[in-house]
Amino acid sequence: MRTRAILGSILASASVLIVGYQAGVSVTTSDGKSLSLPVGSTTNGTTGTTTPSSAPSSGTTTEAPVVSGPSNGTYTGSSIRTRFGNVQVSVTITSGSITEVTALQLTDADGRSVQISNRAAPILRSEVLASQSAQVSNVSGATYTTQAYLTSVQSALDLAGA
Amino acid sequence: MTTHTTARPVTAQPHVSAAAADYRREFSRRARRSDLLVMALWASGAAAAALFLASGGAGQFTSLTETITSVGIIGGLIGTDFILVMLVLAARIPLIDKTIGHDRAIAVHRSLGKPALYLLLGHGALLLIGYGMATGINPIAEIGPMLALPDMPLAFIGLGLLIAVVVSSVVAVRRRFSYEGWHLIHLLSYVAVAFALPHQLSVGGVLSEGTAQRIYWIALYVLAIGAIVTFRMVEPIVSSLRHGLRVSAVTAIAPGVTTIQFSGRALRELGASGGQFFIWRFWTGRTWWHSHPLSLSAMPTNTSARITVRALGEGSEQLGTLPVGTRVSIEGPYGLFSTAARTSPKLAIIAAGIGVTPVRALLEHATFAPGDATILLRASTPEETYHWDEIRAIAAAKGAACYVMVGHRPAHTSSWMSATDVDRGVTLAAVFPDLADSDVFLCGPTPWLDLVEADVRHAGIRPHQIHAERFDW
Amino acid sequence: MRHIIQTMGTVASLEVPSEWADAVATIDRIFDATNRRFSLYRSDSELSMIADGRLSLSAASEVLLASYSRALDWRNATGDLFSPHRPDGVIDLNGIVKAEAIEQAGAQLMAAGCPVWSINVGGDILVSPTGGASGVTTATTAATTTSAVLHAGIADPHKPTELLCSLELRHPRRAIATSGSAQRGDHIWRGGSTESTQFVQVSVVTNDIVTADVLATAIVAGGQDALDDVADRWDVDVIAVDRTGALKATPGLLRSLAANGLTD
Repeated sequence: MRTRAILGSILASASVLIVGYQAGVSVTTSDGKSLSLPVGSTTNGTTGTTTPSSAPSSGTTTEAPVVSGPSNGTYTGSSIRTRFGNVQVSVTITSGSITEVTALQLTDADGRSVQISNRAAPILRSEVLASQSAQVSNVSGATYTTQAYLTSVQSALDLAGA
Repeated sequence: MTTHTTARPVTAQPHVSAAAADYRREFSRRARRSDLLVMALWASGAAAAALFLASGGAGQFTSLTETITSVGIIGGLIGTDFILVMLVLAARIPLIDKTIGHDRAIAVHRSLGKPALYLLLGHGALLLIGYGMATGINPIAEIGPMLALPDMPLAFIGLGLLIAVVVSSVVAVRRRFSYEGWHLIHLLSYVAVAFALPHQLSVGGVLSEGTAQRIYWIALYVLAIGAIVTFRMVEPIVSSLRHGLRVSAVTAIAPGVTTIQFSGRALRELGASGGQFFIWRFWTGRTWWHSHPLSLSAMPTNTSARITVRALGEGSEQLGTLPVGTRVSIEGPYGLFSTAARTSPKLAIIAAGIGVTPVRALLEHATFAPGDATILLRASTPEETYHWDEIRAIAAAKGAACYVMVGHRPAHTSSWMSATDVDRGVTLAAVFPDLADSDVFLCGPTPWLDLVEADVRHAGIRPHQIHAERFDW
Repeated sequence: MRHIIQTMGTVASLEVPSEWADAVATIDRIFDATNRRFSLYRSDSELSMIADGRLSLSAASEVLLASYSRALDWRNATGDLFSPHRPDGVIDLNGIVKAEAIEQAGAQLMAAGCPVWSINVGGDILVSPTGGASGVTTATTAATTTSAVLHAGIADPHKPTELLCSLELRHPRRAIATSGSAQRGDHIWRGGSTESTQFVQVSVVTNDIVTADVLATAIVAGGQDALDDVADRWDVDVIAVDRTGALKATPGLLRSLAANGLTD
């Protein structure tokens, strides 16, 4: 009987460990490390998509070409559990390398889910300086009365564009 | 002067069914359950490690720092699992008691104590080292940042309490305490477990919110603590209230030996088998503090029960002077020293001194064919022959052979028998002709019992046939 | 082709391709209908009649009730920072109907198949879903005009003749609304308090003009806490200016800033 107990224990323990290992393997491959299957990818379709095989079709998932690795675009990884809750990242690939990693999902200390990627943070005037001289056709500002309109930038644009 | 307590008249033997096959079958069932329990114990330890693997742990051995940290985490998981198993073993769950007996459960509980502590000490040390290495500081300096994490100070205190509990349970240290003092320190283990839980659930990734691992872990705690609360707190209270035991008579039957009779309600429904014991608490000002594990010395009727106590220490001394009417609370029945442990239709019973107590009840309860049971009663002096008259009466009524052996052990040879019988060349085989096919029940003082058991083993009796009750709590 | 309409107490600037000039008349009618129904400056508007008791709310038109219901939903969603109820008890829907009118006009243009357009009513701007993941790739003609249509500047509250910045309005960010405390619209109620607001101007960029308008109002009313709450709960980009001229912006907004002088 003791032999049975020993053998049974070894068998049961080994099975449990294998199950645990298997469960862990799928965690490792779904956290975006391998990037083999873009989950919910959105291609940004702006400048310089250099992969010839993927035509810029609107928003459909493109299979990564085998040779050169993942095609340019933004990939969203699956949600991973951490001590505070779930973390989800998106990765932007340009010209074959990762140019940006954004956290999409995070919980704060209170355990609430936070879209931390999109909180407003202080910025310098210099960061917006360049865009001030771009060509625009409309100006958004607090609602102007008809009177105020006449001396606004918008009226100048309207005159130019009419 | 011995006072004869009138034995309950023994009724005619009930018909004995196809005995041998039944006993073997019952034994295999019990052996299978026992093996399953062992497997569950080891599998739970493996499961604790598997929790780590399931969080992607297999890939966290890439650097020395990471390896140290991973081993530390695994150590904490398995160590805590062992602690929870220890709680389950100490909870006196009926299933475990019926399968391996309370004694063996406590023996396994004791054997897990040091390994659990070492694993948890390793957990603490390795994580201090590992996290320290990761941030480039030495382990001692790492203590500061670690204590700054929420719930970690509690965890440190918990570990300290656990060290105190284990150290106090080491035999050399335990001897210095009274049982009650030692038990009080031991209760700190509950506090240690409670203090450790918050950090397990809040720090680290394996048991984080939203994982299946967390659910499993919490379920383990619920199981362990639920078992303790149910079987060591709620069930005894309910049972004591239900049966309403009170002391009805206290009689000295030999120097230092007393029988205590109880009155109560529905005592048959306690479900006690002959040979099992209860844990008794007598509610007087001086005695409520002590709990006593004592066997029934006769099968209970619905309204009365009896125990026989020998004064071995301060606690048991006071039992001789209990006032009639004292309320009594009980926990039990416990123990595998009963017919539930039988593997064969034949019985060989050896009892010495106060060890006759459970044997007297066992004999009354057991069923066997005439000639299938042999009893040997042992005493050093004629004063230690209490209840022998009752046992002889039962033996006669049931057709069991009953031998007596009175006299001190030989001075220069280690033997369990009396000096005269050693000289006469009495052997086990002579007393018990069917020893190889019998269940051997042994009860008596530990040093003596060790000698008997050695002799029985020497005669080739397999361990599962031997049932020994040691009176050395 | 640029068209200017005086309506709803302000000026609307519309940009449509020259061949779609007829659409402007339709839009004009939409704006006019809105004005006639909701303006509190006209004593014969439906909302004025409800305000002075001549018409009971239960007898109001479905259009008005629909707008009111939507305004109430937004009141709940913003925790009262946006509310159609004035302190004096009058129901003032002007905080939402302007944007609703833009929304309607935009839907009209899309249904008619107009490929590229912009609607700017008093600083609330909605552009066609040109370009972007789900949009139709722009036609090859008038590429530069297209890109200009998609660029909007944000007024600098401290320097009226200058821009704070400019950004690209592209699906899913094709609507922008700006709310200011310097020029308080009647629809910003700060719970009766007279303390000066934390932000003097807030611009919200998202895909739907009503949401942008309401949330811009709410953030001006609620300050920093409202800014964080809105950024957490809605898929929007925000740029906010405080009294000292310091800026706060969401990362998404920074990404959508127009490049210097480039017309791509």
